[in-house]
Amino acid sequence: MRVSRITMGALSIAAASTILLSACSSSGTAGNNSADNGKKSYDVYALLPQGTDQPYGTTYLPPMKAEAAKDNIKLTITNSKYNADQQASECDVAVAAKPDLIVLWPAVGDTVRPCLAKAKAAGIPVTVTNSGVNKADVSLTKGFSGPDTYGQGVASAEIMCDITAGKDVGILVVNGLTGNSTATTRHDGFADTIAKKCPNVKILAEQPGNWNKDDSKIAVSEMLTSVGASKVQGIYAADDTMVAGAIDALKARGIDPAPLFITSIGNTKLGNPLVVSGELDGTVFQSSSWDGQHAIDLAYSVLTGGTVKDQFMPSVKVTKANATDPSVAPEW
Amino acid sequence: MSNVRTTERTTAVGRARTVLARRTEGRAVALLVVVAIVAAVFEPVVFSSFPVVLGRLALIGLVALGLTALILLGELDLSVASTLALSGVVMASVPNLGLGIIAALITGIVVGLINAFFVVVVGINSFIATLGMLFALRGAAFVISAEKPVPLENIDAGIAFGSSLLGPLTPRVLLFFVIFAVLQILLSRTRIGREFYAVGGNRQAAIDVGIPVRRRLVLGFVISGVVAATAGIINTLELTAADPTAGSTVLLASFAAAIIGGVVLTGGRGTIVGTLLGALALSILQVVLTLSGVQVDIQDIFIGSILLVAIISDPSSLRTAWVRLRAAITRSRTRDTARGLTGNAADQ
Repeated sequence: MRVSRITMGALSIAAASTILLSACSSSGTAGNNSADNGKKSYDVYALLPQGTDQPYGTTYLPPMKAEAAKDNIKLTITNSKYNADQQASECDVAVAAKPDLIVLWPAVGDTVRPCLAKAKAAGIPVTVTNSGVNKADVSLTKGFSGPDTYGQGVASAEIMCDITAGKDVGILVVNGLTGNSTATTRHDGFADTIAKKCPNVKILAEQPGNWNKDDSKIAVSEMLTSVGASKVQGIYAADDTMVAGAIDALKARGIDPAPLFITSIGNTKLGNPLVVSGELDGTVFQSSSWDGQHAIDLAYSVLTGGTVKDQFMPSVKVTKANATDPSVAPEW
Repeated sequence: MSNVRTTERTTAVGRARTVLARRTEGRAVALLVVVAIVAAVFEPVVFSSFPVVLGRLALIGLVALGLTALILLGELDLSVASTLALSGVVMASVPNLGLGIIAALITGIVVGLINAFFVVVVGINSFIATLGMLFALRGAAFVISAEKPVPLENIDAGIAFGSSLLGPLTPRVLLFFVIFAVLQILLSRTRIGREFYAVGGNRQAAIDVGIPVRRRLVLGFVISGVVAATAGIINTLELTAADPTAGSTVLLASFAAAIIGGVVLTGGRGTIVGTLLGALALSILQVVLTLSGVQVDIQDIFIGSILLVAIISDPSSLRTAWVRLRAAITRSRTRDTARGLTGNAADQ
């Protein structure tokens, strides 16, 4: 018994030491130690809700890191996986580390006020990337760069209005992750524009697809059952991953997606071929590389005291007419 | 004279060994020591950032404390994260802050009673019953919140709640230590606490000696529900809004803290102090890894590996592995001997 306890203790300590030492010694490569190129170096924390666990984050990070290396910025990147508690805690860590600036991509827009207030109290400037903060919190930030998520919803709705051309149609709506600010603003942009510009389009049912193909497939399948497949003439999904799931759900029911009115947002490597094939009528280009690069571009402007202006990604509509154009080549 | 001294020393060492043998927090202490040393070497800033570490401790540890009381009874509650989300949404949906907090606490009690009803009265396994509640409560949180974060009416109160009262002590941290003290006294200094251990250790024996097992189980589920609801209240205040998706990482982190702290999932063994140490070790570890710039996916791998080490270094697991290894070696030797004898016979 005594021997097993001593063995246990020794094993625990040895294993935990090995694990931790390897973690911390490998962390040197996680930061971005750029060579000295004569520029002043800066420490920046990037509090992100996604990273290499998502296709967008995977292609967002390399241009971000490359831009940071160019500007002599040492980046410490976190990923809260859209968990607001986790991001709040990471913000506490960032404030304690006293970096020169924090780049914040809000996991849940409504919950970032305390983080912004703490950073302001500590004298750390905050710039916002990808998803905006609430209007009341904008004064606590130095600037925003990223897609105009409301505008993307508007652009997708405008494609829907154009292709339905005044016909009375019933559509299903697949939203992003519940509570996520991008999901909310895209939905609002789409719904407001439909109500204003083409009231002939009626939303029959809507469900969250959680930015996930499988969840979207299940959600659309359920909505087809609940409202009756014959009443559905179109689908709007808040991103291309989910629209691919929606199209799969239609095919699983033996419904040809081509005659239906289907729009989305993203112009991803999944969505662009669907536009080319005619299964998806239109999507809105979102460049992850633009997003990552401009997050650092804006941060650098703040750090060097340059002109700071909000930077919005253009919401380019992608339909069969321009889907193969190199200027809208999908990135993620 | 020297014989007497040797005997006294032996007795004292023996007593110390007996006391140590009864403790279940060894792995948490070992991990804490290692984490502290690594932090001192790589990220000494951790030791000047008490508010951050204590805030993380309260985040990870609070739900784990309530869960520990229930695990000691030999039951599980998978619905704690959903209870956290629902109680937060209920609280933020009530315009008056005080009434909202009361409504959230009542939510926790009701959830605990429903869980207890399914397990104690209907007789459903707690894993299954609380798994069902996990989905039902999360759905209820989405319905009540209309699938959006519910901001507090009084955001300034939330901001004030997140600020320091004294040094590194925020209201969240203070509440955490109050709940820790209450549960520690309940489980280690009262008859009810001893009955919790008895019910978890051997339920039939507990029934035979007249312990009100059903009442203790109900109390365990209510404690778990109320503590999870308190965590929901604190989260909502600190974030100034209730997020219906809140608590997605709470369940696993709570179980991890309890397991590293030496709490046995089958019940009857473990302490609240162990859970506190487990949560503290995990908190410092997470802060160190975040400060070191280690990506969250890699952090998950390290935390998962440490959890695995904690489980396989349990003395009973080690004993079982050792016994099986010896049996395998003995079998192998017996086979070799038998083969040797057969070979010799053939040669002759």
